[in-house]
Amino acid sequence: MAQAASPTTTIGPAPDSFAAFSLRSFIHRLEREHPEQVVHVTEPVNPARFDVTAVLKHLELRRKYPLVVFDRPLDLHGRPCPLPIATNLYATRERCAMALGLRPQDAMLGLSLEYARREEQRIAPEVVDGAEAPVKEVVRTGDQVDLRELPIVRHHDMDAGPYIDMTSVMRDPDSGAYNAAFLRNMYKGPRKLGLHMSPRHNWQIVRKHELKDEPTPVAIVVSHHPAFYIGSLNVAPFGVDDYALIGSMFERPLRLTFSTTWGEKFLIPADADLVLEGHVLPNVREVEGPFGEFPGTYGPQRVRWVVELTALNRRSDAIYQDVFVGHPDNWMMGSFPKEGSIYNRIKGVVPTVKGVHLPISAVGRFHCYISIDKRVDGESKQAALIALGACDFVKHVVVVDGDIDPFREEEVLWAIATRVQADEDVDILKNVKGSTLDPSQRDDIMGAKMIIDATRPVRRPFEARIEVPAEAMGRIELERLIPPEQLRRI
Amino acid sequence: MPRIFWVTCPRCLKRFYCHYDDLRHTKWELRCPYCEHQFPQETSPRIEE
Repeated sequence: MAQAASPTTTIGPAPDSFAAFSLRSFIHRLEREHPEQVVHVTEPVNPARFDVTAVLKHLELRRKYPLVVFDRPLDLHGRPCPLPIATNLYATRERCAMALGLRPQDAMLGLSLEYARREEQRIAPEVVDGAEAPVKEVVRTGDQVDLRELPIVRHHDMDAGPYIDMTSVMRDPDSGAYNAAFLRNMYKGPRKLGLHMSPRHNWQIVRKHELKDEPTPVAIVVSHHPAFYIGSLNVAPFGVDDYALIGSMFERPLRLTFSTTWGEKFLIPADADLVLEGHVLPNVREVEGPFGEFPGTYGPQRVRWVVELTALNRRSDAIYQDVFVGHPDNWMMGSFPKEGSIYNRIKGVVPTVKGVHLPISAVGRFHCYISIDKRVDGESKQAALIALGACDFVKHVVVVDGDIDPFREEEVLWAIATRVQADEDVDILKNVKGSTLDPSQRDDIMGAKMIIDATRPVRRPFEARIEVPAEAMGRIELERLIPPEQLRRI
Repeated sequence: MPRIFWVTCPRCLKRFYCHYDDLRHTKWELRCPYCEHQFPQETSPRIEE
């Protein structure tokens, strides 16, 4: 039975002095200030039998996207688990904005630009003693580590099993910089996980260790304040220390502590709820997958890496976190972290850009809507080409005029319907680097891109858009003319 | 998307797909995501490329 948060079904106050930086504190704040954003499922659920994702999917079909707390999940043994599950945290821009300390009303362009601003900053982390690190309240090592005691979620029908889909942290052996990235980890045994990586930063770190036949230390941060994960979505170059960048998301130093396995040689987030430690085994491979990925299709079964766990660290009242991959909870993470940097790049060339949006209708990655106050014909394509060059995920770009809000998809579609002639306003680019996870792409690397210029021409007269006069819109207050109870009812 | 091939599990007869370059015509045993049966691809009653 799902119910809105109430005094008897809340996550409870965060007891520690660093309350502002814990998952519990974030959920507690939401329950207090925005109770409509949180739902508790108080009946027992079996995450390994799709109970969790079935609830989320039902809500989605009703166009509801609350943060959902499952108070009584079963673990992989099938026994009641003391760790509740929190999921769907990132499914709305408003919650993502609040995770960064912004107001919900700043969730559109404001969130994108603020992310881009913080992404450029660095705040060196602070190292604290284990006695001051809530993540060290419960520590398990060796044979005491048992993943079956966790409520690991199985997400979709063809998934190879339950998966941990949060952030893995590795450390570059040359520079010492930490790299945090979302990586999927397939449950394979009490202390064994399968690991999939694309050839990006963590892949490079593992490669360096494998060339020396050395295991790669990895810390899987399963639960933490959402700002930690939002920070790990950055597109900074290899070598940038992600702990310092994530600190900028918190606007204060990220607190770290010695790991259980490697001590000071590898630091883990002190305020996390749950961190697993292990090694990526060198030059060991097993089959892994399939797994439902962000495009909404399954990544195929592959030959992938293996992780052997060495330690489990958690708060005594830890919450287990999960992302509903291939759904808004996951799509939102693809959009706003890139919007701000794309906007800034366009602004350097087309200063009249008004907004950039990667809609979740295109999984937060494949489509890009750009709004500009066009001064000369041709500027729209300039803006589009910059967006395509800035992010290889972006496949279709629609450029609209400044009177169109790129965050309102129906307006963008209206602009396409009324301002586009396909023989003049649509361009196709072939053999451009794309995304290997795009199911429509026939080549492993390259695909086609499209630019739709949905702007009015500057050089010839064009019909004006109808509008209710601004004077009337400002004078008429809806709440004064329609009683609140009627407004709530419609 | 990389090239894939569909496989039918010889035990439960459900279908899933695999990465072609990683697994097709290799010695790796495939693992059915539905029943966890591990099998050489030659024992699959149907492979679709």
